[in-house]
Amino acid sequence: MHFPTRYRVVISLMLLLLALILLVPLAPYALAYVQGAGGVANPGTELWREVRQGVPGQTQVQGTDTGTLIGAGGEQWRRFRMEQLVPYSAVIFAGVVGLFVLYFLIRGRIRITAGRSGRLIQRYTLSDRWIHWFMAVVFLILMLTGLVLLYGRWILIPWLGPEGFSATAQFCKSAHNLTGLLFPVAVVLVLFAYLREALFNFKVDITWFLRAGGYLGGKHPSSGKINAGQKAWYWTVVVGGVLLCVSGLALYFPDFVQSRELLRNAYQVHTLVAVFIIAFFFVHIYLGAIGMEGSLEAMTSGSVDANWAKEQHDLWYEEVRGQPEPDPPGAGGIAAGGVASPRPDD
Amino acid sequence: MARMKFLCDAERCIECNACVTACKNANEVPWGINRRRVVTINDGSPGERSMSVACMHCSDAPCAAVCPVDCFYFTDDGVVLHDKDICIGCGYCFYACPFGAPQFPANVAFGGRGKMDKCTFCGGGPEPDNSPEEFRKYGSNRLAQGKLPLCAEMCSTKALIAGDGDVVSEIFRERVTYRAASGLAWGWGVAYGKPGQRRASGLENKASSQD
Repeated sequence: MHFPTRYRVVISLMLLLLALILLVPLAPYALAYVQGAGGVANPGTELWREVRQGVPGQTQVQGTDTGTLIGAGGEQWRRFRMEQLVPYSAVIFAGVVGLFVLYFLIRGRIRITAGRSGRLIQRYTLSDRWIHWFMAVVFLILMLTGLVLLYGRWILIPWLGPEGFSATAQFCKSAHNLTGLLFPVAVVLVLFAYLREALFNFKVDITWFLRAGGYLGGKHPSSGKINAGQKAWYWTVVVGGVLLCVSGLALYFPDFVQSRELLRNAYQVHTLVAVFIIAFFFVHIYLGAIGMEGSLEAMTSGSVDANWAKEQHDLWYEEVRGQPEPDPPGAGGIAAGGVASPRPDD
Repeated sequence: MARMKFLCDAERCIECNACVTACKNANEVPWGINRRRVVTINDGSPGERSMSVACMHCSDAPCAAVCPVDCFYFTDDGVVLHDKDICIGCGYCFYACPFGAPQFPANVAFGGRGKMDKCTFCGGGPEPDNSPEEFRKYGSNRLAQGKLPLCAEMCSTKALIAGDGDVVSEIFRERVTYRAASGLAWGWGVAYGKPGQRRASGLENKASSQD
């Protein structure tokens, strides 16, 4: 085969061009290889460290956190939820309930020592009681639906099956979200309704705490309209309620701009505060409705027996003893408003 | 028994996003949902690297651990799947996943999440294989057809490899031997753990431990 010279030149040039096209892009690699041989650190090492630390890169996918390849916070959150929150909260709740069962078995119901006097003292107005029971209903719904979502996988799936529990959990999630919108309203109402009586009177309240409210024996300490324990409960509800509302709202609208880090932190705040409040709630239920004779009627009929007031809230009794007796219980009571009102046994 | 794994070779990925497109094409996912994405680290600087990432089908999957309704399950091939009829869209899997794999359609009132959607390794869901319901909820079930995920099959530089972990790691080992570099496979340490961790999790006899 013999080509004319000009063909040979053209073919050579095209081969050269092809070689250049294939080889020129490799120049940086060749350079890096030469430099690498000179002892320069592998740039890959630094790169993978950044990836593991969650340094975000560029991506075409729009969304929050989409540039992060490995988010290490998820593992921490998993450990928090599965190894700390679920088991420890269960132990705390069971412990509190168990202690009260024990207390009830040992001590029984704490009676009004002097018996009922038959004379009533107005303690909570109708609006005070409405606010209390509004908060109570909202709180109970939120607590029960929240607990179903927290423990249902272990407690309810064996009973309801996966499909049945899925429907239950779906309902509880919606109910939790919708009722949650009322919770800030309830917190603000509670904040203003009982603020005056919940301000601390340090001398009286510290004494009350030091004597554990007289529940473990010893002399019953003095207290104003509400005692130091009730004040602690009030501030727990108000401060914890605000924290629950703020963290709950962050969790409520996941499609705004929250990073996963923020959602995980909001979850931790939300659950820790909820566990604390629920544990305290069990205390509140026991002392308000079960363990003490004559306490519950303060929030149902609105008035209490004078002897109960004298024994439980002596300072408050001194303030109000001269006031006229309220209307007989039932008249204008909360039962008339349509809310179930369990009568305390006498 | 095969143990399905993804591997993205960062030395080969050129950020063409064909895997992302292929995934959408194979599974017809709703608007706004991206089961797979390509991330470029140090974009525009010397030494930039791109990686394609989706669900890594972890051995000890965090999503399955935290799910409050226990809707995840593992196939015999080690693929992590979930049941959309059970999912309540709480988003916990999204908090826990290191790779950002779970996706949520934003079509529910009050900013709520719809049912979670994620990469199925083209393995469908609990419905009968390749039934219309399965396709509507989870996309195609290529595994049941004897095929591998479309993202990996479409990859032009064969950066993204999917398949049995033994085969995949053998391919990668060969590459590394020729390339005289190491440790550049994306995500394996996190998704499948070190042998010691797998032993601690009681996974030592699983296929994933035999690589």
